[in-house]
Amino acid sequence: MAKERSFTEKEGYFGDFGGRYSPEILTEALIELENTYNKLRKDKKFQKDLEFYRRNYIGRPSPLTYAEKLTKAWGGAKIWLKREDLNHTGAHKINNTIGQALIAKAMGKRRIIAETGAGQHGVATATVGALFEFETAIFMGEEDLRRQKLNAIRMQMLGAKVIGVSSGTATLKDATSEAMRDWALNVSNTHYIVGSVIGPHPFPTIVRDFQKVVGDESKKQFKKENDKLPDAVVACVGGGSNAMGMYYAFLNDKKVKLYGVEAGGRGSSPGEHSATMLFGKTGFLHGTKTLVIQDDGGQVVPAHSVSAGLDYPGVGPEHAYLHSSGRVKYETVSDQGALDAFMEVCRIEGIIPALETAHAFRFAKDLAKELGKKKDILICLSGRGDKDVAEVARLVGLSQGDLI
Amino acid sequence: MSAIKSVFSDSKSAFIPYISLGDPNYELCVDWADALIRGGADILELGIPFSDPVADGPVIQKAFKRALANPFSMDTILETTEKIHSLHPHIPLVYLTYFNPIFHYGFERFAEKAKIAGIQGMIIPDLPYDTPETDELFKSLKRRGVDLIHLVTPATPLNRMKGIRDFASGFIYYVTSYGVTGERKSISADLEDRIKTTKEVFSLPVSAGFGISAPDQAKEISGYADGIIIGSAVQRIIEENGSNPSLCRKKLEEYAQSISGSLRGKNL
Repeated sequence: MAKERSFTEKEGYFGDFGGRYSPEILTEALIELENTYNKLRKDKKFQKDLEFYRRNYIGRPSPLTYAEKLTKAWGGAKIWLKREDLNHTGAHKINNTIGQALIAKAMGKRRIIAETGAGQHGVATATVGALFEFETAIFMGEEDLRRQKLNAIRMQMLGAKVIGVSSGTATLKDATSEAMRDWALNVSNTHYIVGSVIGPHPFPTIVRDFQKVVGDESKKQFKKENDKLPDAVVACVGGGSNAMGMYYAFLNDKKVKLYGVEAGGRGSSPGEHSATMLFGKTGFLHGTKTLVIQDDGGQVVPAHSVSAGLDYPGVGPEHAYLHSSGRVKYETVSDQGALDAFMEVCRIEGIIPALETAHAFRFAKDLAKELGKKKDILICLSGRGDKDVAEVARLVGLSQGDLI
Repeated sequence: MSAIKSVFSDSKSAFIPYISLGDPNYELCVDWADALIRGGADILELGIPFSDPVADGPVIQKAFKRALANPFSMDTILETTEKIHSLHPHIPLVYLTYFNPIFHYGFERFAEKAKIAGIQGMIIPDLPYDTPETDELFKSLKRRGVDLIHLVTPATPLNRMKGIRDFASGFIYYVTSYGVTGERKSISADLEDRIKTTKEVFSLPVSAGFGISAPDQAKEISGYADGIIIGSAVQRIIEENGSNPSLCRKKLEEYAQSISGSLRGKNL
C-alpha cells in the first residue's frame, strides 16, 4: 500500500486536466521553475521589472479598437478588437517570453530554447534572447519553416539558432517533442520557454499568468469606453495562450459569453483538422493530461490547419477544463473560412491579421449577425499577418501581377 | 520474490536488451526477440511504439515510425508478446511504454491482458510516481504480481527517490546520463557512486541504461550495476539489417553474446 503522498493532488490541475507527466530527468527542473515562479510572482522587484518591459519594450497597454467598418459590413453586433498585433514583434507571444526570460535570469540560466509553429513565439523568444543576452535555440518543423520563412529569418537575425525538425509531421507537435529532448540534455543551464498554455505543470499556469494582461487591459478599456462589459469574447485556439489570457479576466463575469475558435481545416476526417475540442479525447501529450486528437490505439493523430500556429493536436489543459465545465464554447472555422476572413479584414478594416486570428474573425462574423446590433463582441486580434502574406497569396492565387 | 527480481544475483550482472515491437513488422520482431534471448538476454524489454516518444533519441524514434507504418493496435502488441513468451517462458518480459496508449486501452484491461501475455514488469517514462494515475496503475499491477519499474536519473534528488520507493518493484532503471536514449561514447565519472546510493535507498537491484552500447562499457558498468540495459545499439542493428532477416538475427545473437559475455560473472 502506498504511503502518504508528498504532493497536493490538485496542484497544477484544472479539474481533471493538467498535472506533470514528463520524463523523470525534467522533474527537478520543473519543480525548480515552480518554486522560483512562486517566489517571483510575489516579488515587488520582479513585478516592477515586468511592468517596465511591458510598458517600454512591448508597448503595452495595447489599444482597444472599435472596428467601425467591419461592424457596418457584417451588419450586426459592434466589433471591438484587442490589438495584440501592435505589440513589439507583432503578437501576444512577447507577453510570455519577457516574463519567462526574467524567470530564466533569476534562475541563473544562460541558455533558452523554444518550440514554434507559426514562428511568432520563436521570434518573441529570439527577441528576449537578444535583449537579455541568452544563447537561444528555436525548434521549428521543416514544414513550418517553409510556410513561415520570414519569421525563421527574423529569428536568425536576432541571433537565435533555428533548428529544423524533420521527424513526425515536421510541424509544431514535433518541434515541441524536440525541444523537450534538448531540455532533457541541457536542463542544468537551459530554460525551456514553452510558448502556450500547454506542457507539464507549472507551464500552463505561468503562461496564462503572463498572458492575462490581455484580458485585464481589455476589461478596463472596454468598461471605460462603454460603461459595461462586452457581451461576447472571441479568440482563436491552438494551444490556447491568447485565448486563455483573454478569458481569464472574464471567467467570473457569467453574462459575458466566451468563445474559442479552433481550426476546422479542410474536413472532419483525422489528419484534416486541429479541432481538439470537437474530436479530441482525454490523453497525455507533452507532459500534460488534456484533450488530444488520437486514434483508437492511443496514437496521436497529426493535425492540420492552414495556419501553422493552430496546427497542434492537443490544447492547453485549462481549456480542456473550461470546455468540460461549459464556461467556454469552442467552435471551428475551416481553412477556407479563415482565408476568406483574412482577405475581408485586410480590405475592409485595413488590418492584416494573423491567419490564426482570421479563424476568430470568421466565427465572429456569424456571431455578430446572431447577436444583433445592440450587442458588443470583443475579438482578441492575437497577432499581425505579415508572416502569412506569402502563404495566403499562394493559397488564394494572388499572382505578382495582381499585387501590382 | 518477483520473477524479475529473481534474475538478479550478487555474483553476476543481468543483460537487458530492448526492441521496439512492430519494427519492421509484428512477425519479424518475434525473431529478433528470440535471437537476443538465445544470445544471452536475461530480461527482455519490449517497446510499445508511440507517435510522440519525448524520452527517446533518434534511433528509437525511427524504429517507432517504422513500427507505426503497420496498423497499430494494443491487441496486436499483446498477441506478439504472447508469441515471444511462449518461445521462452522462463525469460521475464517487460514493457517500456508511454502512458497514453495504455491509458487509452484502460488500466485494468491492460494489466490483466499484459499479465496473461507474459509481461512481468512495466516501465513508463512519462508517468512520474507523484500522479494520481500512478496510484491507480500501481495497485492494478500489484494485484497481478506485475512490477512497476521506475526510472531514477542523475537529476533525481534523495527526497524524490524516497517518494519513488513506495511505488517501485522489480528493479530500478538508472538513467546514466542527461538527455534521451541513444549511444554515447563516455560514461559519467560519478556513475558508480550514484548507483551505489540508489541501491541503498531502494534495496532493489539497479540496472543502468541510456547511452550504453559497447561491450567494454557494459563490462565496466556491470562491475557495480546489477543489470545493463541496451536499447539504441540493438535497435540500430535492426535498422541497418532488418531487411535481411537471417543476417539481422545472426547479428543480434552475436551482439547479445558479446555483451552478455562481457558482464560481471558471465565471462565466457
